[in-house]
Amino acid sequence: MANVFAFVETRGTDVRKVGLEAVTAARMLADKSGGGEVHALLLGPPGIAAKAAQVGQYGADAVIVVEHAGLANYSPEVATATAADRIKSGGYRAAVFSTSAQGRDLAPRVAARLGVSVVTDVLSFEIEGDTIVVRHPMNIGKVIATIAITAKPAIIAMRPNVIAPAQNAKAGRVENAQPSIDPATARVKVIETRQGGGGKLDLAEAPVVIAGGRGLKAAENFKLVEDLASAFGNAAVGATRAVTDDGWRPHSDQIGQTGRLVSPELYIAVGISGAVQHLAGMRTSKTIVAVNKDKDAPIFKVADYGIVGDVFEVIPALTAAVREAKKHH
Amino acid sequence: MPGSRAKLLPSAHQAPLPLERLILTERPDAEAVPMDVLFVGGGPAGLAGAIALARLVKADNEAGGDLGDVQIGVLEKAGALGEHSLSGAVVNPIAIRALFPELKDKDFPFRAPVGGERVYFLTESRAVRIPTPPTMQNHGYQIASLCEIVRWLGEKAEALGVNIFTGFPAASLFAEGQRVIGVRTAPSGLARTGDPGSGYAPPTDITAQVTVLAEGTRGALAQAYLEWQKVASDNPQIFALGVKEIWETLKPLDAVVHTLGWPVPKDCFGGSFMYPMSRNLVALGLVVGLDYKRTSDDVHEMLQRMKLHPLFRDLLESGEMVEWGAKTIPEGGYYALPKRRHGDGLMIVGDSAGFVEVASLKGIHYAMQSGMFAARAAFDALKKKDTSSASLKEYDAMVEGSFIAKDLYGRRNMRLAFQESNFYVAGLKAGLMTVTGGALLGGKITSHPDAAVARQVTPPQPFVPDGKLTFSKLDAVFKSGNATRDDIPSHLIVGPDITPEVAELYTHMCPAGVYERDGERLVVSPANCIDCKATDVIGPRWTPKEGGSGPKYRQM
Amino acid sequence: MKIAVCVKRVPDMDVRFRIGADNVSVDEAGLKFDINDFDAWAVEAALKLKDKDAGSEVTVISLGPDVVQETIRKALSMGADRGIQLKADKVPFDGLAVAKALSAELKAGGYDLILFGKMSPDSSNGVVGPMSAELLGLPCVTAISSLEIAAGKGTAKRELEGAQEIVEFPLPAVLTVDEGLNAARLPSLKGIMAAKKKPLEVKPAQLGEPQVTVRKLELPPERKAGRVVGEGAAAVPELVRLLQTEAKVL
Repeated sequence: MANVFAFVETRGTDVRKVGLEAVTAARMLADKSGGGEVHALLLGPPGIAAKAAQVGQYGADAVIVVEHAGLANYSPEVATATAADRIKSGGYRAAVFSTSAQGRDLAPRVAARLGVSVVTDVLSFEIEGDTIVVRHPMNIGKVIATIAITAKPAIIAMRPNVIAPAQNAKAGRVENAQPSIDPATARVKVIETRQGGGGKLDLAEAPVVIAGGRGLKAAENFKLVEDLASAFGNAAVGATRAVTDDGWRPHSDQIGQTGRLVSPELYIAVGISGAVQHLAGMRTSKTIVAVNKDKDAPIFKVADYGIVGDVFEVIPALTAAVREAKKHH
Repeated sequence: MPGSRAKLLPSAHQAPLPLERLILTERPDAEAVPMDVLFVGGGPAGLAGAIALARLVKADNEAGGDLGDVQIGVLEKAGALGEHSLSGAVVNPIAIRALFPELKDKDFPFRAPVGGERVYFLTESRAVRIPTPPTMQNHGYQIASLCEIVRWLGEKAEALGVNIFTGFPAASLFAEGQRVIGVRTAPSGLARTGDPGSGYAPPTDITAQVTVLAEGTRGALAQAYLEWQKVASDNPQIFALGVKEIWETLKPLDAVVHTLGWPVPKDCFGGSFMYPMSRNLVALGLVVGLDYKRTSDDVHEMLQRMKLHPLFRDLLESGEMVEWGAKTIPEGGYYALPKRRHGDGLMIVGDSAGFVEVASLKGIHYAMQSGMFAARAAFDALKKKDTSSASLKEYDAMVEGSFIAKDLYGRRNMRLAFQESNFYVAGLKAGLMTVTGGALLGGKITSHPDAAVARQVTPPQPFVPDGKLTFSKLDAVFKSGNATRDDIPSHLIVGPDITPEVAELYTHMCPAGVYERDGERLVVSPANCIDCKATDVIGPRWTPKEGGSGPKYRQM
Repeated sequence: MKIAVCVKRVPDMDVRFRIGADNVSVDEAGLKFDINDFDAWAVEAALKLKDKDAGSEVTVISLGPDVVQETIRKALSMGADRGIQLKADKVPFDGLAVAKALSAELKAGGYDLILFGKMSPDSSNGVVGPMSAELLGLPCVTAISSLEIAAGKGTAKRELEGAQEIVEFPLPAVLTVDEGLNAARLPSLKGIMAAKKKPLEVKPAQLGEPQVTVRKLELPPERKAGRVVGEGAAAVPELVRLLQTEAKVL
């Protein structure tokens, strides 16, 4: 039985999904160790305290709330000092962070301050006596490592989306605390957090990518792909090399071996036959859907779901169905 | 077949060699990098030459000689040594032993000595074992990856202080009168328009007292030099295209295997090889003369079909193709050698000179040995302070007096017999020539350049690769490691009157899918090019392009 | 300005890896190695600063066996001034051990700016930069995609998920470099010549005791075969249902 620390990632006064995933992971670790407590650190500007109850819902026995006007933006030094102090004084068996842009920044700093190692991008974990054993992708996911952490506390940063946030209501006792250092004295200052990238989602970051190939027949037919992307609302549009070579789309939209590498939650290939060069750019996508009229097209070999048919029929129908589904969401 | 009588002549659609780009008469840049001896090409010829020269210089300096610091450079167009090197390969170790007399065979980067050997004659469904012809006996030779040999030689050269410049293709020779005084490298970072784009790096000029062209097969600068200097040969050089794959297999291959016959058409010259590289790694390939007879003949596709034969399928089916590549091979032999392989400030070595013996499918040891001879000639020239043609002539004399000329002369008509006869008649002649040491039919058989061989316009045979045992050209290019950026300007000069039939010829000629017939027009994807040079032989001209582009072979 | 850049030699990722006989390392046969891309961009960032201030000195540090000297020479041929090899038989997975060795060397250097790539693709852990900063007690900004330095202060941009942060920091500082900051220059021919004559110091690496160790490496399972849901527009409702209930992406 051991207590586990979780760092709840926030942006402004919002708790991020990865923050709840960290709490869920910490809960699992505590339970696996025989039922210790989860203590979650919630750090942010005034208003963040209101989110403590939500953190309790996901399995935190205690929520340490650090509310400070100087924390409107992420402050790496305040977060490092505050988390490290708390982990040190709390005697935790493990501390869970997220492998997000913020977590990648914070977890190694906290670990170094505590004089322990850290493993990021953790896929899963087990407790084996004195050791916490985790799985971690190496060589851009082409090799999976099993890693033994003998450090105490064991510091891990979970890969996003591998553990779904699970409701598991615990007391969520709120404990108000002060930041370990005054945000005004931090040397590194985030002076601005700009939301979004001006509306157009970047291919590499979009959770959904819709890509079109030669099967669309002409540049103007890319409108079908754009319409489907707008129905999703969180989708970016990509293209194959054949299409960018023909000037239907800019080269910056090209997905493939020589173009952009994407790894979205959902990849929809529209009229793409699936040359290996293209597959190299998207095969790590979590779910792949292909629509192509040629049932022998190689893309169907990697697609989780395929529809054999005319893109000019299927895509408008899919666009309408996605619009409908999003309405009820 | 209606219309099948139509013929086309590849040479009628070929652009001339762009001599004005390849031979510059302007002065090199004032900031030019000065080298004493520059090897153009970091393959077995260039690296063996650089190593031999560095050792000669070192020994001379240690013996109190007066040469002092001699700057030796090797220019290589690939991003790293070996990435553009491809061969079978079963290596005759004679040259590497001569280069490193202090080392043992086990120290060399060979995979394994040749164990068993088998030769088969194939029909579409059968394989008939035939006695191994004497020319194809490989006992005592070593199975190797040329990439690995080249990387190993590179380390040796580097340790001797040779300047190895990878990622720098030589684009032009500097001429001063009849003398070659250095080279200009190709720029990189050009936009598709040919204007400097992001990451632009301008050309660099390098001057040298002696320039050694070791560009490999169908070298652009070697061709330009020979044309500029009007150096003749008895016969034109002719080429074959080899397409090669490396497979991880579950079962081991127990012998070196060669095949003749299917799927190579009867009127074409060609055959396959399959070598065990390690317990579960097999190299296999198909080599076909570029004087094939039909627009639809397609070497890559022939290799794909060949793997469906039980002889190959049984071994490969449960395995995985891990690497793919292609390269042309100069096959003209003795009579296609340029009459002179030296000039003022210049020597031509290795495949660039045509030192390949086709009956035994070997060239690596000739390449290395010719590089070593060039090193000796360059060293003597530096000592004499005379790098003129008269001084470098010593190189040609050494080649003529060596096993290189002897071997090539002995098999002088072997390949040529195939251009004029069908496979069986030619095979018979070749057999007789072997028995008689080349003396039977000992006169010179005249041959034509590949591009001057007319092609029958024939419809392509539909072939659908399965992506497991057989592969499309695009899938193949991916396995070559080619990661050339897509917006590279075209380095290929397409000639006049490209009819749909010519486009069809190019589509099948190119193993890497650079050319595609799209209805009436020819679509060119220069980024697919893996520098095999087949295009330069019978299609659009190949010119040096940005350093580091092209394939990235690892174990070819 | 004195700038240090820490670089790592990594295998080309464009291959199918094989697990070595020891089960805890990748079989290196047939692999090609080069400087980590992120580290090359870090070198480029340093050289860009040097381009503007010719008095700057760029030191390249790499930890590992003698083959890392090639990687250091590559950076020197791009234009860095001197190299330091922290000699070790191999680079451990444990980022803290590496950070300890690097910071021991960096501490004495009096650098104004210390640059790292944000991660290396082989270990894919991305912790050595910020851990070194922490051990050195220096301000640190990770994963920067733009950089301005003026009058002892810097401004950088970091890419977050769907947002960007603009960060200010004082010098000396530690920065880790993300994609998009620049495109690394290719070594020039003269640069390659010059690199041979530049100083390259070799010192033993003072690696700490590892607290995390690789116990086993495996290849990930093959992607399971997909299925064709149906033909034509009639298959759309079933596809949407699967995306909602099975794949949970809609």
